[in-house]
Amino acid sequence: MALVDDLRSTLGSDRVRSHPLELIVYDKDAGVTRGEVLAAALPETTQEVAACVRIAAAHGVPVVARGAGTGLAGGSVPAEPALLIVLTRLNQIWEVDEVARTAWVGAGVLNLDLSRATEHLGLHYAPDPSSQAACTVGGNVATNAGGPHCLAEGTTVAHILGVEFVTSDGDVVLLGGKAPDPPGLDLRAVVVGSEGTLGVVTKVLVKLTENPPAVRTLLLTFDSIQAAAATVSGVIAAGIVPAALEMMDQPMVVAVEGFIKAGLPVEAAAVLLAELVGLEEGAAAEAAVVERIATAAGATSVRVAADESERAVLWKARKNAFGAVAQAAPDYYLHDTVVPRTKLVEVMTQIYEIGERNNIRMLNVFHAGDGNLHPLVAYDRREPGMSEKVRAAAEEMVRISVAAGGSLTGEHGVGLEKRDLMGLVFEDVDLDAQARLRDAFDPNGRMNPGKVLPAGARCFDFDLMAGQDGGSS
Amino acid sequence: MTVLKAELARLAKGMFADPIPAAPSVELTVAPAQVEDAAAILRFASKVGLRVLFWGGGTHQGIGNAVAPDIVMTTHRLDKIVDWQAEDLTIVVEAGVTVSDLEAQLQQRGQTAVLPESPAGATVGGLVAAGLSGWRRLRYGPTRDRILEVVLATGDGRVVRGGGPLVKNVTGYDLPRLATGSLGSLGLIARLCLKLWPLAADRGMVEVADPQMALRTAYRPLAVIETTERSVAYLAGTRAELEAQAARLGGRLVAGHRWPEPLAGPREFVLRVPAGEIGWFVDEMRVNEWAFQAAHGVGEVRLVVDRGDDEQLARLREEAENLGGALVAYSSPEDGVFDPWGAAPESADLQRRVKAAFDPAGVANPGILPGGI
Repeated sequence: MALVDDLRSTLGSDRVRSHPLELIVYDKDAGVTRGEVLAAALPETTQEVAACVRIAAAHGVPVVARGAGTGLAGGSVPAEPALLIVLTRLNQIWEVDEVARTAWVGAGVLNLDLSRATEHLGLHYAPDPSSQAACTVGGNVATNAGGPHCLAEGTTVAHILGVEFVTSDGDVVLLGGKAPDPPGLDLRAVVVGSEGTLGVVTKVLVKLTENPPAVRTLLLTFDSIQAAAATVSGVIAAGIVPAALEMMDQPMVVAVEGFIKAGLPVEAAAVLLAELVGLEEGAAAEAAVVERIATAAGATSVRVAADESERAVLWKARKNAFGAVAQAAPDYYLHDTVVPRTKLVEVMTQIYEIGERNNIRMLNVFHAGDGNLHPLVAYDRREPGMSEKVRAAAEEMVRISVAAGGSLTGEHGVGLEKRDLMGLVFEDVDLDAQARLRDAFDPNGRMNPGKVLPAGARCFDFDLMAGQDGGSS
Repeated sequence: MTVLKAELARLAKGMFADPIPAAPSVELTVAPAQVEDAAAILRFASKVGLRVLFWGGGTHQGIGNAVAPDIVMTTHRLDKIVDWQAEDLTIVVEAGVTVSDLEAQLQQRGQTAVLPESPAGATVGGLVAAGLSGWRRLRYGPTRDRILEVVLATGDGRVVRGGGPLVKNVTGYDLPRLATGSLGSLGLIARLCLKLWPLAADRGMVEVADPQMALRTAYRPLAVIETTERSVAYLAGTRAELEAQAARLGGRLVAGHRWPEPLAGPREFVLRVPAGEIGWFVDEMRVNEWAFQAAHGVGEVRLVVDRGDDEQLARLREEAENLGGALVAYSSPEDGVFDPWGAAPESADLQRRVKAAFDPAGVANPGILPGGI
């Protein structure tokens, strides 16, 4: 194929994959859809990425950029046959500026590696998705990824000062930069979260955050979801924005405890993991307030992590929740919607009702502090009619979240998964404006087409459950 | 022409406003009370090619290239607080609400929108359009990160909403952050949802000898500001925290916050450089005897200079741009000697196309951005 030949003459044959067996690892993400990859290119420099974009354009082939493929919404799964540009080899940390607390890193650097590399300076990269040991900073930029510690610190966009960006024409431009508020329109902010539909980010200037001198991590146990949710509201109302405020329901606690053995209370209806950071004086005082509010709301026990190792175990339990579920059922479908945090109880009640009515097994672990829900359905797609049932329930959960004043996604992105639901939260005129914005970057529609915005004339057969694989990988 | 004027008069009926003394002289000043009305005027303006200048409190009209408008559109009738969800830490406001009114109300329930601390008569819409952040940016990040939702009347007269009234949301392209700092180049910012923060229990200040050292010793202070006279670390938290911070800084804790008075002078500039590079620039300002206020850790210096300092300014700008920064004029110099922005950004072509996506006829604050975009 001419496309592959041109790529090989630029990158060398070992960095272009085109055999169907080689492409199997590239045609899906961590979610449930598959797409068609024409070839996978593994560039090592920005200039090579730009060359790949130009080669694809010359052959009239769409481009899909991909990091580690840990996404859940299909953002890096081609919606139509495409050249996949795999950015994992752009994995260099170029510069760490200790004074300005910034770093220039390749798009392929792993999220956790960045925090590890700056630990000795007393700094870390704040956004911490559960997949942080595997996901790339570039992928985080594409989805505007979140994580438990985004409650106080904001999602990825608040930590990205600039990007080196390959345009749809194959030009390289800097958007944003190390100085605050560069003159002109903030295109950096538009590129973050654009899921590769505007161009390809090859290098990222991140903001690093000072490690707090003191941390208090509390595990609070409740005999109802309502009591846990009341604690969340009470904490915010008391003027405290914790570093993290995470909830797990009983089915999830049982699954996680079976997997991690963190000593979680399996008899509790819900647990909250709250983390307060700051100076010793501040963290301790806030922890005391949280404990008082939780107790008043009916907490049945309060466990304070005694040291860093106990804290690490609690977080390991939280961040391995999805791995734990893989033990419980062959497939799972992880949702991501967001609601005003004051509507948590109302929406959770409806979500449980959907689960019961459809007789599906549901587990919940979510970012309660910012109203970001992650109902997880564990199922076996080999059961007749199950996939359809799960899919219908998924859409219903999105609809009730939106009806409660919420939105489609808090951190996973729109991708393929929710593209056709965008009309639930936006009017046609709003979507049209977004399409025009996209066209300004990519007039020929070659960058990750078929994502984020609902197809107009274009028709892509997106059948969530029709893929040949489940999501339990 | 008479037909056009008649049509415009019909559209603007009920929106007529008195001319704004400080604004450029125009035949028509409109004050829409609904975003749809603003859109109708812009739609017409796009059809016939009339340039529209947006006006909030008029406090920051000096930023950017001068606009020669046919119509001035003010936001003073878009003055409602639409929906304050105190427990969700969000508030929806119309663009013409003044920052001082908003913050005064928020303060009654112990909250803040973290907008600039000395706003004079500035409106929320105006400050967001100008992309301005207050001193507390060091701790809470830029204003841009607190704009959750925006409703725009686009240059071509569509009413477009982006984002959502939620503290966490990645649904669709980030129009709220794009609109922040767009200086009206996409259209009128008519309504905004802002993310709020709880106010800390207590506030204090500590005078410090070395502001860069203070950044390293204090834990996440609100601000470390160096002025011609002194350097001060601004702190918030419980009383015990403030005392602990003061002990770390080795200084005496003074209760409350006194922010630097806004600088005023014949020519106002803002210098923006990588935070670690600020020292050299501050030294230059002392040598030149310019009044300045430097936000350490942020990399921003506000300064006022006299006429006739063009050579030194040009040098400062060149040094800033070499480091990826900028020296931006905040009061439009009538003499036209000094370009307000300096070098055009390397993404100028993309910026032009993005503006055109919202304002294809180029009627919304035309030319105000760097590169005349």
